Amino acid sequence: MSADILSFIIFLPAVVAFGLMITTKHVETVRNIAFLTTTVILALVLKLYIEFEPSAGMQFVTNVPWIASYGINYYIGVDGFSLTILMMIAILIPTAYLLLWEGRTKGYWINMLLVQAGVTGSLLALDVILFYFFWEVMLLPVFLMIGIYGFGDKVFTTIKVTVYTMLGSLLMFVAMLYLGVTYHAEFGSWSFQYDSLTQITSLSYNEKIWLFLAFLSAFAIKIPIFPLHTWIMETYKNAPTGAVFLLSSIMAKLGVYAIVRFLIPIFPEIYVEFSSWFVFIGLFGLVYFGVAALMQDDIKRMFAYSSASHLSFIAAGIFSLNAFGINGALYLIIAHAIATGALFLLVGIIHDETGYKTIKDLGGLAKQSPIFTTIFAIMLFANVGLPGTNGFVSELLIIFGIYEFNHTLGYISALTVIIGASYMLWMFQRAILQDREGEALKFRDLKIKEIVGLAPWVILVFLMGIYPDIFIDKFEPTVTHYLNDILHIGAAK
Amino acid sequence: MNELIHILPVSLILLSAVGVMFMSMYEEKFNTKQYITVSSVLLIIALILSLIPLGDSFALRPYNNIFNDVLIFDSFSNFFNILLILGTLLTLLIGENYFRSKEYFKGEFFSILLFALFGMMLLANANELVTAFIALEIASFAVYVMVGYNSEDSKRVEAIFKYLVLGSFIGAFYLLGVVLVYGATATTNLTEIAAYISAHSNEDMALLYIGLTLILFTFLFKIAAFPFQSWVLDVYRGAPMIITAYMASTFKIAIFSFFLRAVLQDIAPMIDFWDSIMYVIIIFTLVFGTWLAITQNIVKRMLAASSIVHTGYLLLAFIALGQNIHAAYATVFYLIAYLLSALGSFGIISHIISETKVRVTYDDFKGLAKERPYLAAMMTIFLFSLAGIPSTIGFIGKFYVFTEAINAGYILLAVLAIVATFISVYYYFKLIAMMYFYPTKEECMDNDFNDKRVSTYAIAFLAIITIVGGIGSAIVFFIPALNIDTLIEMTQIAIQSLFIKS
Repeated sequence: MSADILSFIIFLPAVVAFGLMITTKHVETVRNIAFLTTTVILALVLKLYIEFEPSAGMQFVTNVPWIASYGINYYIGVDGFSLTILMMIAILIPTAYLLLWEGRTKGYWINMLLVQAGVTGSLLALDVILFYFFWEVMLLPVFLMIGIYGFGDKVFTTIKVTVYTMLGSLLMFVAMLYLGVTYHAEFGSWSFQYDSLTQITSLSYNEKIWLFLAFLSAFAIKIPIFPLHTWIMETYKNAPTGAVFLLSSIMAKLGVYAIVRFLIPIFPEIYVEFSSWFVFIGLFGLVYFGVAALMQDDIKRMFAYSSASHLSFIAAGIFSLNAFGINGALYLIIAHAIATGALFLLVGIIHDETGYKTIKDLGGLAKQSPIFTTIFAIMLFANVGLPGTNGFVSELLIIFGIYEFNHTLGYISALTVIIGASYMLWMFQRAILQDREGEALKFRDLKIKEIVGLAPWVILVFLMGIYPDIFIDKFEPTVTHYLNDILHIGAAK
Repeated sequence: MNELIHILPVSLILLSAVGVMFMSMYEEKFNTKQYITVSSVLLIIALILSLIPLGDSFALRPYNNIFNDVLIFDSFSNFFNILLILGTLLTLLIGENYFRSKEYFKGEFFSILLFALFGMMLLANANELVTAFIALEIASFAVYVMVGYNSEDSKRVEAIFKYLVLGSFIGAFYLLGVVLVYGATATTNLTEIAAYISAHSNEDMALLYIGLTLILFTFLFKIAAFPFQSWVLDVYRGAPMIITAYMASTFKIAIFSFFLRAVLQDIAPMIDFWDSIMYVIIIFTLVFGTWLAITQNIVKRMLAASSIVHTGYLLLAFIALGQNIHAAYATVFYLIAYLLSALGSFGIISHIISETKVRVTYDDFKGLAKERPYLAAMMTIFLFSLAGIPSTIGFIGKFYVFTEAINAGYILLAVLAIVATFISVYYYFKLIAMMYFYPTKEECMDNDFNDKRVSTYAIAFLAIITIVGGIGSAIVFFIPALNIDTLIEMTQIAIQSLFIKS
């Protein structure tokens, strides 16, 4: 049973989704069953989290042939790294349901379930073709969500986001096939498992660089890393709240995850060699998106830039080649998912209730909705990295990591964090606190359901901020294994 | 007796064609539904007969004293016969609604369809150049007639003439090629040509090379590769929708069956000679087909144009044949994947057209998902498959073709093909966007649908196969379903039987 638990976690939402699609037309039934499914998954993931032993290896592995003549296997497993992200997804999604509770249609909930299946699948897949399979499958429901439930020029947005992500995916696909063929030429049999692909020795230096870039293009678009970010502006602005939440909180993280899972083991030398470039690009993105966020009037766009800014910071941490940076990046993945996810959902509530999206239209929300404002503020502080929150721990670790990588860049990264604080607090002051002249804005406070949904996130923000060890212990051995055994540069002391 | 089993399906189809023709003489006694039933039953019997030897590896020349070695019956031809019968049967079932809604589909149409199938099956069995030509012409002439069947459409005259004249013209190339081959080798039998090639050095074979290249032109014309694709848009446009589907999928399979046999079994050295020609042809086929598909406004023409792109993928696998035999499996697998998705997508459109007259352009498909969610969902599946999105059989097909192309060293071509795939996402997804993201147009509204029809069930069957074929068995490991590996094995047995020396 325990070996199949992962498959169960992956396919349960998809099976439920298809079942609901053909059986019932009743929106509330669909929503309730979908929500129930996500809580069942959360329970399973909790069980997994407890049973998981902190060590470097893969656990709960299932490996059965899928397309045997090409050595493509249904090969899934979990290590400390993916477990952490799996846990995050399992907690975030059900609470997102609670916040999106009212006024959605059947298709909305079914798409949410399908995305969860796709995301979990690509998180756990250890065969590159299987990974590609889920990677594409998770895009399709989001495509439908933006197109059907989006705002503004939604069709253009849909096509733009599809074209961008598909371009990256297909480049990655070529690279996967090339690796598979190389493996076949070298070993005489087919295999697309990532641990087989790491054994390839016959690639030339130039080939490796091209393949590395092809893979990276797919991941960088998803994250997005500067300059491949132009799709996120329209998308975050025009997409429905649920899709924005999924894209920013969860899918973007999978881009980072994939870099660690596939790029580091398969191309360790290239990774080390080019890391300074990517740290630099990451820091540049941090500043660039931060400054862009300062200038936004549309609140969703501002969060889009802010999110991109933090993701660049994560990318910089991932490429910093030491345990501080990578642990910090992992930690920021979780912290950012919680903070940004909550903020997007809260802004979604503002938009649903008042119809306003721009900062200058808002104001004075604090008076009418104290609970809303409190939670909003907590998430905001986590996002800017106030001490005591999980954002602080992760940013500190990344800055340490970058400092160890290069002192000058370390100082720069420490200073740039101020940008994030300034646009966030400025926005908070204008949109939430400051009284608006003229007619009073009608806005309700959070309902009990929504507070219950957000409560675990608030707890996590502080728990992770005050006592990080209980979380870091789960994935630290994996990171150490990566640094010692794959990159051969030694974990930080 | 054993020999009889193998020639039964082909003979049965010939007899059915003649039988239905006699039936159609009593026009007033039968209606369209009865013709469809009779033809389908006959096709199902033929299908069952051909399924008997499936999985065995054999190569026979039954009744050699009668056929004089011009026909060969092996696992390869058997496998293709199954595909061809299945393609025709599905065409018939998907078209049920369409055939019944149009006045002009009389009894003889079904006879012609069966004759076309007979020609194609013969082509799959042909082991001699002139026999192949006759088989090809039987099939082609039947298709010419079917193209012109749409008497309500003024475009049909242009379509039939364009196809007939160009087709006959290119047929002359084939004959000239045969003459040159005969001049060089004094035989038209493929086996003997193969013996000639292996016994002679390159210098003696100039005439043979020219002759076979002329024959290659016919092949390229029939599958609509660049520069012989000019007829496609107009002919596909003028032909009845369901015939377009038939031409794009089933007829293409028949053409490939013969040329794959010829190239693999007998004239393998030619593929190296053609290498550079094919290289250029593939590039242009992909580029030109993609360009055509993007610029189309009418959905049917877009599908027609995109079939040129799919020809490009097929040729990509075909060119890789020179390097390794796996490319042949890839070609056959891709043909199957394309058969399913193309029949499905064309079939849905013809099903819709038969009820409403307006669904022609992209715009007319706006809001289809709200009106008819199941049809829209099935159409989406087929479009995903055509675009090669994972979880459909089209993805596995593309995976197969691209892997073998890279394996054979055609990396640039593979990258180009993937770029073409990428662009194809645009024109396929545009249709999905139309169906899902817009409100329904008023003039396209139609409330009295009857979707409980044979056509809908046939399309649904195709949609399920498309998905199951893409997911395979491992994902649903608790349900022993159709396994991709089994399908791949079948294609391998089929191809391997070409090399049985008998």
